[in-house]
Amino acid sequence: MARKRGLFETFQERIGAVLPSALQEAQTRVDDRLAKIPTRLNEYGYDAFGLHPESSRRSLATSTLFYRHYFRTETFGIEKVPSGRVLLIANHAGQLPFDGMMLGVSMLLEAEPPRLVRGMGEYFIPQLPFLSWAAERGGNLVGTPENCVALLEADECVMVFPEGARGMNKTWDHRYELQRFGLGFMRLALQTETPIVPIGIVGSEEQQPGLMNLEGLAKRLGLPSLPVTATFPLLGPLGLLPLPVRYRIHFGEPLHFEGSGSEEDDVVQRKVNEVRAAIDGLLQEGREQRAGVFR
Amino acid sequence: MEKVLITGIGSGPGRLLTERLRTRFEVLGVDRTPWEDHPAEVAVHVLDLRKKGFEDLLRTERPSHVVHMGFIRHFKGDPNRRHEINVRGTKQLLDHCHRYEVTNLVVMSSSYVYGAFPENPFYLDEDQPLSASRSYPEIRDLVEVDTMATGFLWRHPEIRTTVLRPVSVLGPNSRSMMAEYLRQERAPTVLGFDPMMQFLHEQDLTDAIAMTLEQDLAGVYNVVGAGQVPLHTAIEETGGVAWPIPEPLFRPGVRMLFGAGMAPWPPGAIDYLKYPVTLAGDALAQAIGFKALFGLEETFRSLRGRG
Repeated sequence: MARKRGLFETFQERIGAVLPSALQEAQTRVDDRLAKIPTRLNEYGYDAFGLHPESSRRSLATSTLFYRHYFRTETFGIEKVPSGRVLLIANHAGQLPFDGMMLGVSMLLEAEPPRLVRGMGEYFIPQLPFLSWAAERGGNLVGTPENCVALLEADECVMVFPEGARGMNKTWDHRYELQRFGLGFMRLALQTETPIVPIGIVGSEEQQPGLMNLEGLAKRLGLPSLPVTATFPLLGPLGLLPLPVRYRIHFGEPLHFEGSGSEEDDVVQRKVNEVRAAIDGLLQEGREQRAGVFR
Repeated sequence: MEKVLITGIGSGPGRLLTERLRTRFEVLGVDRTPWEDHPAEVAVHVLDLRKKGFEDLLRTERPSHVVHMGFIRHFKGDPNRRHEINVRGTKQLLDHCHRYEVTNLVVMSSSYVYGAFPENPFYLDEDQPLSASRSYPEIRDLVEVDTMATGFLWRHPEIRTTVLRPVSVLGPNSRSMMAEYLRQERAPTVLGFDPMMQFLHEQDLTDAIAMTLEQDLAGVYNVVGAGQVPLHTAIEETGGVAWPIPEPLFRPGVRMLFGAGMAPWPPGAIDYLKYPVTLAGDALAQAIGFKALFGLEETFRSLRGRG
């Protein structure tokens, strides 16, 4: 993929020209942390699911700039994430998945030892040129139950947003209101005996105030959703840039659930409600603690 | 010595299998085209599986083992004829195997039958639906063959029937779709896509078939090689140059060229350059202890010495 990588690298270099020292510093830090992750790569540098640190290290450095200098992210209780297989369950907001990106970077930079978080993506992502490629090289997979089980059985750290697009594309008046949680993650956790870490992400809910969601038009255009925000589509592509809110990621105590994963919905629902309540508590606590959205 | 009949014996994999089995079995084979310099002790019959001559051969020779790998996999001729030869030929072969008391049967299918889709999880097991015809109707005959053979396996438990679904087979003798694709100097790819792919060396496939026969295996099994890399890495490693084309140009272009008989593959094949079709191989490993001996580098190198 010589041509594509060339373009991508040129772009990265341009950014580097604008922010040379910060980017270089971020790159050094990312490389250093990546080297500490025991990944199982084959002779070509790929793991079994298409992760390729050599391709993703640059975009991770860019994400690190967002993490440090744009969102000025703080984490609380990251040491609670157990080693081995684990599911990170968080609230989802902000129109674009910067919350996933920041959660991933936090585990890479702040957790000891560093972990590479595997995201479970929407089904449309593999159909998008470049994005499908970038997502896979970064360690993300299509969110099928089979993929999730395979990752957990390989003792990976998997991140799931059970609200999905319901959470991410909700409007401003519903910020910090957790939407309905899917049950799938809990069934998989039970099936694979995986501990769940509830996570409250404070900040993402204000990054891109949604005014409305043009669902009808989105469906007609084949898009998952088409949010109208304070800045998009008013300012064009520039309007996609989130507000420089401060991110605060609160990690809760790991929750262990018992069962086979084949229980009735209401049994699973009760367990899911526990996780949801834990996240809700973390969000409330986090909002009370902070001095302001941007501070 | 037990007798094994190989269909498609003159093909690359057929010849390799003959070589592998001839010390253990009395080998005979059929093909639609002659195999000029076949070993003297191997009887090669040029005939059509759908015709009476094939039934006569089974009745008189009474092979105990049959390996069915004689399929048309290219798209050069009339698609109806290809479908008829592959599907009708298999149907006849299965009937004869039952009637003339064959004890062991291996039917060669492929990973293509699962189909390439964006929602494919990694490492499909043998229970996944065979959905290839949904996006790639030109190979529905291969899906039908697989389904027919699987049905036969359950209907006739007295015959040890195995359906093998190998991933892309590479090697100097292989004419698999992926081998042919990688032999091109410039390999067209879909701009912005680089799916993970698995490869199997032709010698490893031969081993898997031989072990299947020797260990009286029955069932449906994926056959995987030593590992997986993205498509573009495979192209580089086999000495080719990737030629990324934006999909809005690629698909209509291939449709037009294929319609004019100038492209080797129909547009449905493009999905295999976009989405991963990776298979889980643990079932076969557990059943007969099969493990690919050729690593990825060797497998790629085996194709590089191309003429």
